[in-house]
Amino acid sequence: MNGFTVFVGKEAREIPRTWRIWVLPGILLFFALTDPVLARFTPQIVGALGGNQLSGLKIPTPTYLDAYAQWTKDLSQIGLFALIIIYAGIISAETKSGTAVLVLTKPVSRTAFVIAKAAVHSGFLTVLVVLGTLLTWGLTEAIFGKAPGSALWSAALVWLVFGVMFITLMTLLSVLIGSTAGAAGAGLGVYALVSIAAIWKPLGTYSPAGLASLPASLAAGKDAVVLWPVLTSLLLAVALVALAAQMFRRKDL
Amino acid sequence: MIQAIKTTGLTKTYGEKRALDDVNLVVPEGSIFGFLGPNGAGKTTTLRILTGLARPTSGSVQILGHDVAMAGNEVRADVGFLPDVPGFYEWMTTEGLLRFAGGLFGIGGPVLEERVAMLLDLAGLGGVKTKIGGYSRGMKQRLGVAQALVNAPKLLLLDEPTSALDPIGRKDVLDMLTSLRGRTTVFFSTHILADVERVCDTVAILDRGRVVAHGPIDELKARYGVQKVVVEVTSDGDELAEEIGRQSWATAVARGSEGAIEITVADMSAAQREIPAMVAARNTGMSRMEAGEMGLEEVFVELVGGEPR
Repeated sequence: MNGFTVFVGKEAREIPRTWRIWVLPGILLFFALTDPVLARFTPQIVGALGGNQLSGLKIPTPTYLDAYAQWTKDLSQIGLFALIIIYAGIISAETKSGTAVLVLTKPVSRTAFVIAKAAVHSGFLTVLVVLGTLLTWGLTEAIFGKAPGSALWSAALVWLVFGVMFITLMTLLSVLIGSTAGAAGAGLGVYALVSIAAIWKPLGTYSPAGLASLPASLAAGKDAVVLWPVLTSLLLAVALVALAAQMFRRKDL
Repeated sequence: MIQAIKTTGLTKTYGEKRALDDVNLVVPEGSIFGFLGPNGAGKTTTLRILTGLARPTSGSVQILGHDVAMAGNEVRADVGFLPDVPGFYEWMTTEGLLRFAGGLFGIGGPVLEERVAMLLDLAGLGGVKTKIGGYSRGMKQRLGVAQALVNAPKLLLLDEPTSALDPIGRKDVLDMLTSLRGRTTVFFSTHILADVERVCDTVAILDRGRVVAHGPIDELKARYGVQKVVVEVTSDGDELAEEIGRQSWATAVARGSEGAIEITVADMSAAQREIPAMVAARNTGMSRMEAGEMGLEEVFVELVGGEPR
């Protein structure tokens, strides 16, 4: 085993031994468990809350697509916000606490340090999204009696690419901005810009910005061309990690 | 002969502030080198550059014959480092951390097992099974020294290794450093003069980013130190001090505590011969007469111009 694999092992073992095992998994588990139930009972909930005031409002009978839409919406909004905040200190937390010095004065390069972190946490997000989507899928089948997989999985996996791109973005921002709050603010700013950019059709069709809205379309069972946004997002993720490593190599610790 | 450390014209600036100014150091292999200076002198900045954590604004650093700016893992494989405030993964245990540190050097199997057991014993943390998050500063410092030794380094760099330790812990670390003499080059920064006098054979004194003295301790004392005689008499102290002040071999005379006469001398043998004769001629008693060199502390104060801590 070399320094890189040992550090990857540390990064993976750190997840179940610290707060990381509770926050993002807790948020995604909560949504995976509640989204199909909420989708099924939305008419009753709206009726109970609105009383007679909403008697004229006709709410369509919910279907499995509502459960899928709910899960995708939660991933795209609260899931992504949580991810941005959680990973705002992915590098700076270690430089501030002195643990980066402990590792980087041993035979581990700064590039290996950055790649290991981005790779392990992208893998962690993949496991969480797959487990959460499986749970949503199973509960949707149990509640609605019907749950075709393609719409749900295509939406979740396309969002996963978006999530991985944001992990790499936060890795770069965490190298550039020492303050966790500052990096989180910058990450949220980029998210807002990407969401606005997606409205312009060429960007929405060919650039990573398209991934801001594509999961919702896919979850609704609509056909959408995902190749270019997915491909450019993956390329951008690699470029962001490379840039993060380059900037980290230049930084005084 | 390859030097363990060689810096040439090392300069580091932060904006207008010059943290290091043309630092030239040579640390011979096998030496225990004390890097002495008051707080803020630039000791930690130097160590950060030596370990590759920071880059110099100008100048170069060679560690074990390799240029630090060009070399990577091959240099780090032979170096152990303890920062001034060591940071650890608080969820790990001591044993887990030492295994992790050894693993980063590619050490495994029975060699790592043996080293971990030896270092746990050395750090006095053998029976501790709790997580590092609950350790005292002293325990963390001892663990920091242990992890710096996990690769059996050729060069051990320590930044203020004894500053957080109690007297027993401090003695243990200094004894451990002494035991490494001849096997590993030890370079440690400190502002504690007694530690340097106790274990180091070579020293550099840094003040406001500049090396103001550099060499073997004995040589420094001889170069910067002066010889002194302290005399205490039972009566006529003032008159005797005045008479001594008129002698050609006495360059300065001062009155110390409890009436002692402190004489800075240019010719020690003349002073040792003539002072007892002067005391006898006055028919007074001599209760003390001591002759000696100025210590490292006085050299430090003279060069740095302030009080050592």
